Amino acid sequence: MKRLLITLSVVLLSCAAASAQEDPVAVRKALMQANAASAGAASAMMRGEMDYNPAVALAALATFRAVSLSVGSFFPEGSDSGETRASPRIWEDMAGFQQEIADFQADAAAAREAAGREGPADLAAFQSMVEPVLAHCNSCHETYRTEN
Amino acid sequence: MLRKLLFLTAALVAAAGLVFWLLTMPRPLDESVLAGTEPGDPVRGERMYFAGGCASCHASPEAEGVEGELGGGLVLTTDFGAFVAPNISPHPQDGIGDWSEMDFANAMLRGISPEGNHYYPAYPYTSYARMEVQDVRDIFAYLKSLPPVEGRADSHKIAFPFTLRRGIGLWKRLYLSAEPVVTFPEGTPENVLRGRYLVEGPGHCGECHTPRNFIGGLKLGQWLEGGPAAEGEGRVPGITPDEDGIGFWSEGDIAYFLESGFTPDFDSVGGAMVAVQKNMARLPAEDRESIAAYLKAIGQ
Repeated sequence: MKRLLITLSVVLLSCAAASAQEDPVAVRKALMQANAASAGAASAMMRGEMDYNPAVALAALATFRAVSLSVGSFFPEGSDSGETRASPRIWEDMAGFQQEIADFQADAAAAREAAGREGPADLAAFQSMVEPVLAHCNSCHETYRTEN
Repeated sequence: MLRKLLFLTAALVAAAGLVFWLLTMPRPLDESVLAGTEPGDPVRGERMYFAGGCASCHASPEAEGVEGELGGGLVLTTDFGAFVAPNISPHPQDGIGDWSEMDFANAMLRGISPEGNHYYPAYPYTSYARMEVQDVRDIFAYLKSLPPVEGRADSHKIAFPFTLRRGIGLWKRLYLSAEPVVTFPEGTPENVLRGRYLVEGPGHCGECHTPRNFIGGLKLGQWLEGGPAAEGEGRVPGITPDEDGIGFWSEGDIAYFLESGFTPDFDSVGGAMVAVQKNMARLPAEDRESIAAYLKAIGQ
């Protein structure tokens, strides 16, 4: 049974990897949507639309960290066309783009670490951790995404 | 006979030249406009400075992170050529340190330089023309409080015939007006009118969010409906309260976007709007709420 499960997950994982290679645009969009949903939860708590919950805060911070580590791998050469708003500047200045991602990774990692195992103790603590991470959304989109 | 014809042609050309010269003559403000307003207040001016987004174009690009250094140098590449934002720091030679208040008011409200030349409308004076003289004086006082920056920005790189600045006088006759774009009935709430002032005047939102015709004039019949970006790729989104714009955004959503840079879907602001949103975030909340109220009220 255990072996079957392992086999199954290996098969599923390789399917995921295959589709990632075939359609990097879809993968990076899904990663960005995960970020957006986390930003939505974070914002709802910061605006008082939802009670503060450390588990939700932790889920948001963990998502930002995971996305920061993975999203940069889904901008291969040639993935600048089709249903994408990725700016051609990404491929004109790949080093600058990767630097943006590295900065995002650093802040997301720091926030995730500060959150500890239980998540940030209160809203003020969460806010101080998440705001530097959220600032990367527009700093990257200012240069590397087209508006339309 | 031939001589007569030549004479007549010459006379016609001269008359046409005179008419052009008269029609394109810069028309500065009357000195009396300053009367009845108070001396500029830099504290109020700072609020207008952020509403007007002055730094988005005039901040020295190399001075990123250093606030308030308005050395200019940003290049706007358009179909008409490359416009370079000038130094508007209070440096006496390279900036506007030697300007009088009338010089500044004429630049903002009439698009005329202290030497009496027309500015290119890449400088959005067609919007600023709707501003109150008091607010213009306040901005000037605030600009004077910023650090002087040495060095002039490059000159514009424009192709003929747009190099003939005099022709802008004709263009201004078509497009320069202090009248509001949207008229509201009597009894319209005060915050909607304040929002109209901020959006149509200092905020100059229509300069990007309204499509332009082939001579660069705004198509006011399509006010804020979005259109091709003046610079390079892409489109500028419409911000009218309908399905082509941001009809599904509430007033609160609009105000929150201007404050935080997040859309209701938690997509983030991007492109040239990032700098605009950062300025809007510096305004008092009531100003963002007024802008939101106006954007929901137009076309209703």
